[in-house]
Amino acid sequence: MADRSDATSLDELELALRRLPGVVAVGFVDADALLLVEVQVGPEGYDEIARDAALLAGQHAPGPVTVEVVRWGGGGPAVTSPRIALVDVTTDPSAGQLTVELALGEETATGRASSKHGLLAAVQATVHALRVLVPGLPYLPGWARTIETTPERRFLVVASVTDPDTQSHRRGVAEGGSPLEAAARATLAALNRTIEPGLG
Amino acid sequence: MEDGSDGPTRSIVDTAREGSGIATAYLALDRLVSLYELDDAAAVVDVPGLGRQVLHAGRRPLRELARELVDAEPGLYLQPPLEDPVVTELVLAVSALGLRCDARPPRTA
Repeated sequence: MADRSDATSLDELELALRRLPGVVAVGFVDADALLLVEVQVGPEGYDEIARDAALLAGQHAPGPVTVEVVRWGGGGPAVTSPRIALVDVTTDPSAGQLTVELALGEETATGRASSKHGLLAAVQATVHALRVLVPGLPYLPGWARTIETTPERRFLVVASVTDPDTQSHRRGVAEGGSPLEAAARATLAALNRTIEPGLG
Repeated sequence: MEDGSDGPTRSIVDTAREGSGIATAYLALDRLVSLYELDDAAAVVDVPGLGRQVLHAGRRPLRELARELVDAEPGLYLQPPLEDPVVTELVLAVSALGLRCDARPPRTA
């Protein structure tokens, strides 16, 4: 964000986003080469605002960018929680294994990965569990990175998954009480919009 | 009368002259945090054409603060609080003015 032209681009991006009806706040995190944009949307926000925000980000951002839209209704966040929910992330040091448990209504699914892969293991295990609930899910685990640790010891993680056929990448950002939990949540956030239409 | 401004203040003035309104607003907020060694700062302002807007110091995401600030009344939200009505009024004025200037459609020749 230090470069002058980059700063100008950020100004333009932020103003363009704030002009969208319902947008009340815009924030940025520069995670190495990836720009994360948080857009807070009040009750006046419209249905396609996430699409429009992503389009604007693509036009104005100086490099790779991912957009997180947070919607608020009257008195609290809108119900945007995923239909697939994270139940638990556990590690078994003796087996060198990490397990992610997900739930879709009454149905649950677990995915496992070798914990020697560190943060990526949480992405791998989450994708494996998702495939139980969403057969045919084309996305493969990509990478995960902790971008912020708060003074309250909360961890902000970005996770990336890739569809090898279309070479499309999806990235999500989420917070958690541990980096592994945050990585699992970020993986769900990356794929929510893709998998929800295929459910039910 | 002596020029009582210091370097950082001039920098805000330079940004106001040459930069964008929103950059000036953020710089004012960041200077406030730096000068008073605050943990955090956010300005909530009503801007014609944009409606209620929240500016967070450092252009950082609101994250959990959104719960408190998205519906907040216009004002300067500081952590820890700072009781200085003049500073509050000036920072809010710079924030509103900066956003209002930038929100205007560009002039056509």
